Amino acid sequence: MRAALFVLMLSACGTAAPPAEPLVDLGDVPLDPGPAVTSRLSRAQYAASVEALFGSGITLSVALEPDTRVDGLAALGAGISATSPSGVEEYEVASYEVATQALSPERREAWMPCVPAATVDEDCARVTLASLARRAWRRPVTDGEVDALVAVTSGAASTLNDFWGGLEYGIAAVLQSPYFLYRPEIGEADPNGGRRRTSFELATRLSYLITDGPPDSALLDAAEAGELDTTEGLEAQARRLIASPEARRGMRAWLTDVLKLDALDHLDKDPELFPNISATLGASAREETLRLGEYVAFDKDTDLRTLLTTRTTFVDRELAAVYRVQAPSLDAFAQIELPAKGERRGLLGQVSFLASHSHSTATSATLRGQAIRESLLCSPLPPPPAGVNTSIPATDAERPTLRDRVTAHLADPSCASCHTRMDLIGLPLENFDAIGRWRDDEAGYPIDASGTLDGVDFRGLSEMADLLAADPMLTDCLVLQVVRRALGRAPGDGEDEMVDALRARFDQQDARLQPLWLDLVRSPMFRRLESP
Amino acid sequence: MKPLSRRQVLRGMLGSALITVPLPFLPSLGRRGQARAAEGVFPTRFGNFNWGNGMVPEHWTPATTGAGWAPSRLLAPLARHTDVLSVVSGYEVKVPNISPHTSGKFGFLTGIDPNRGSGDGTYALGPTFDQIIAAAIGGTTPFRSIECGVTSEQVISWNGPNAGNPTQADPAALFRRLFGDSFRPPGSDAPPDPKLALRQSVLDVVTGHLGTLKGQLGRDDATRLEQHLDGIREIERRIAQLQLPTPALDACVPPTVEPSNPAAFKERHAVMTDLMVTALACDQTRVFTYVFSEHNNNWVYDGLKDGHHRMTHDELGDQPGVQECVLQIMEQLALFLDALRAVPEGDGTLLDHCALLCSSDVSLGRLHALDEFPTMIAGGANGALRTGIHVRSEVGASAAAIPLTLMRAVGVRAASFGEDDCMETESIGELEA
Repeated sequence: MRAALFVLMLSACGTAAPPAEPLVDLGDVPLDPGPAVTSRLSRAQYAASVEALFGSGITLSVALEPDTRVDGLAALGAGISATSPSGVEEYEVASYEVATQALSPERREAWMPCVPAATVDEDCARVTLASLARRAWRRPVTDGEVDALVAVTSGAASTLNDFWGGLEYGIAAVLQSPYFLYRPEIGEADPNGGRRRTSFELATRLSYLITDGPPDSALLDAAEAGELDTTEGLEAQARRLIASPEARRGMRAWLTDVLKLDALDHLDKDPELFPNISATLGASAREETLRLGEYVAFDKDTDLRTLLTTRTTFVDRELAAVYRVQAPSLDAFAQIELPAKGERRGLLGQVSFLASHSHSTATSATLRGQAIRESLLCSPLPPPPAGVNTSIPATDAERPTLRDRVTAHLADPSCASCHTRMDLIGLPLENFDAIGRWRDDEAGYPIDASGTLDGVDFRGLSEMADLLAADPMLTDCLVLQVVRRALGRAPGDGEDEMVDALRARFDQQDARLQPLWLDLVRSPMFRRLESP
Repeated sequence: MKPLSRRQVLRGMLGSALITVPLPFLPSLGRRGQARAAEGVFPTRFGNFNWGNGMVPEHWTPATTGAGWAPSRLLAPLARHTDVLSVVSGYEVKVPNISPHTSGKFGFLTGIDPNRGSGDGTYALGPTFDQIIAAAIGGTTPFRSIECGVTSEQVISWNGPNAGNPTQADPAALFRRLFGDSFRPPGSDAPPDPKLALRQSVLDVVTGHLGTLKGQLGRDDATRLEQHLDGIREIERRIAQLQLPTPALDACVPPTVEPSNPAAFKERHAVMTDLMVTALACDQTRVFTYVFSEHNNNWVYDGLKDGHHRMTHDELGDQPGVQECVLQIMEQLALFLDALRAVPEGDGTLLDHCALLCSSDVSLGRLHALDEFPTMIAGGANGALRTGIHVRSEVGASAAAIPLTLMRAVGVRAASFGEDDCMETESIGELEA
C-alpha cells in the first residue's frame, strides 16, 4: 500500500493532469466505525461561538482555562479533558460578562427578536431565550428547557425590577450550560443498521471542522429539515461552508494546533543575543505562517506540501528585519518572494518554526528535528530512557560547533537510535539561529548543513524541503492530522482502511485541503458511530 | 468495615468532592488530630511550593541529621529559616523513570506511575495529594484550593487523569478571583447581596442539564461532567458562605488595588507571594499549590548566560551554573517563607500553622534522577510536625512516606499513600511531633 501510494504521489505531485486511477468510492471502503466524542469548546471556539450569537467585539476580563494537548493536539485534549473547579468558575464569570455586553443598548437590538413591554415580560423573554438557546446549543430546545430559562429570567427581573437585568441571568444560564460549553454526541439508531450521529451533531461537527465555529442558521435549518440525512445534502452544506470566509478560520485553527503556534505567545529569547526579539515578534511569526496557510489552501487552493517548498511568504517590518529583506509595508503584512536561490523557503524557514523549536540562547537540532517528526511526519519519538546521561559535551576548541558536540553524543548507540532521526534533520537548519536569522558561521566556525532523512543524504533547508515534500510520510501525516481534528480523537483500527482511502484520494487530488475536507465529510466515518 | 481499595477511595473522592475522604481510620492518629483541633484557634494549612529542574544532591544534603542542621552550600540562602524548616533527604520516588521530569513529579505527588496502563507520562493518573487534602480540609473556606505561581504552562495539581487544575500566574486575575467584587472582608455582617440567590438559580438550571446529559453519555464523559458538577458545587458552597457573617481575622489586610503583572519572574514572584500569603491570612483557602518554576524551564538567572534546563544537561563537572540557579531559587523560597512568617497569628506566625512542602520534579537534573529526591517541609502544621530537623533515609526509602506524613499532619485520615511500588503505609515518625 505504501509503495503504491508513493508511486501515485510522485505521478500526481505538481501536475494538473487527471488522475490515472479512478478515485476510490468512499462508500465502498470497509468501515468499523469508532466512538462519538464530546469535545469541550476550545478558547477560540468559545469566542467564535459568542461572536456568532451576539456579534463581534465582546471582551472578557477572565481568561478561560487553557486548552489541553493530548498526543500533540488540543483537538484531542478537548475530547477527554475535564474542566477544573477554577475553569467552571471562569465559565461563570465569563457568562455574566458576555450577557452584560450582549444586552448593551447598542448591541441588543441587533440580535433580540422583540422589545420588552414590561419589567417582567415573559413572552419577550421566551421568544428571545428559545431562539438564543437553539443557536447556542446547536439543536432544537424543548418547552421545558425554555420554561426553566424564562423562570430564572422572570425571577431575576422582579428581584432587580429590571427586564434587562433579569435577562442577563437567563443568558448566563444558556452560556453556562454544558450544551453550550461542550459538543455532546449522543447519537441515534441508523435506519441502515448500527448507530449514527444525529443531524444536529453532524451539523455541529461539520461546522467546527470547517469554520472552528458553531453552525449558522442555514446549517441548523438544513439539519432540522432532514437535509443532512443524505450524503449529498451534507456535502452541499460542506461546500457552502468551505466557500465562506469562516473556512479560513477553520484552517488557521488546524494549522495552529498541528504546528503548536500558540506557543509563540511565550517566545523566550535572550535580548542581548537577539536584538530582534520583541513582545510582538511571536505573534507576527504566527501570523506569517497562518497567512501562508491561507494563501496555499484558499488563495491558490493548491498542494498543502507547497507549505514546505514555497518561497512566497508574508512579512511585516519585524519579520522583514529578521529575514534581512526590504519591508514591503510600513505598518502591515504584505506578500514577498524570498530569493530564488536562497536556503530559506517554506514554513521550516519561518521564524515561527525556527524560534519555537530553539532554546532561549541557542539553537537545538534535537528540538527542531523532533518537531518535524511529530507534527509533520506523525512519528513522535519516545522520551530518553531513564537514568541516561543526556548531556552533550561542552563547547571547546575540539568541538566548537553544535554539530561537533551532537556528533560526539551520537557515538553512543543508546542515544543514536532515536537521535539520528531527530538531529540529522535538525542540523541542516543550523544556518538559522535561535530566532531564525541567517548565519554563515557559528562563533566563527563554518556551518556544515548536511543531513540525512531516512537514509537519503542532503545539504541545507532547501534540499530538505524538497525531500520532505516528496516523502509519503508527510502526505499520510497531513491527512491523519486533519482526520484527528475532525473526529476529536485518533482513528481506530476499524477506520484505518477509510483513512488510507482518504490518503489515496488526497494524493490523487493534488494534496489539497478543500477536497480532503469534502471527502472526509462525505465518508461514512464522519456519520457513523460504533454500536454500544 | 471492609477496607476500601485505593481505587475506590479515589473514585469516591472524584465523585463527590465535599464528602470526607472515606479512607480507613487510624484510631491513634484520629484522636490526636481531634485533640489538636480543640486546642488550636488557627486553622492548619497545606501548601506545595514547587520548582523545576531539581538540584545537585552532592551540594544539597546537610552534613548532619537531627536538630540543628547546618545549611549545605545550596541551602545557605535558607539559613535564617532553619528553625522552621525540616530537610527530608535520601528518599526515592519509586516509579519506573520513563518520562523525564514527569515520572518524578507526578509519581511523587500522586504516588502512581504516570506511565502505568494507558498513561503516557503527560498527565497524572490520580489526584495529586494536595487535592486529597483539599477534599478533607478545604470545605469551609471560600476556595477549596488555589493553584497559582509565577508561570502557568504546566499543570502541577490534578484531580485525576485529564483533569488538571491549571496554575494562575496573572496577579491581576488572581486578585480579582480572591479579593474582587465577591470578597467579603472579615468581620462583615452586611446583609447578603440579593444577586447571590439569582446566581444560584442559574446554577440550578446548569446542574439539571449536567445531570440529564450525564445519563445520556458514556462512562468516561459522565465522569468529566461529574467533575464539572464538582466545580458547580464549589461555586454553590461559596455563594452560601457569602451570605453568612464572616469571623474577624486580625491578620487579614486585604489588598485594595489590582496588582500589575511584572514581566521579570522574580518581580512576579514577589507580587504573587503577597497575594497568596494574604489569601491564607484572610482564610480564603487552606490548601494551595505554588509553582515557582516548571520543569524544562530555561529561565536565565542573574549573572548566568544560559537557560536553567539546558544547563542541567549541558554543563559539565560540578555544574556551577546549575548550582547558581538552585541558590537563586532557594533565595526566592526564603522570601516566600519570610512573608509567611511576617503574618502574626496568635503567639506564633502563619507559617507555624502551615505544612509547606518544598519540592521539585527530579534530584540531579542531568540524569532526571529520582533518588535523593529534594524535599523540605516548612512550618509545624499547628504543632503536628517537628521543625528544624534533618531526616535522612540511608536506604533510599519510598518518598511516598512524605505525602503520607503531611496528609496525616494536616488531618487527613489516610491509611496509605500511593500504589504499586509506591504504596506506603508508614509515615515518617521522626517528623511527627
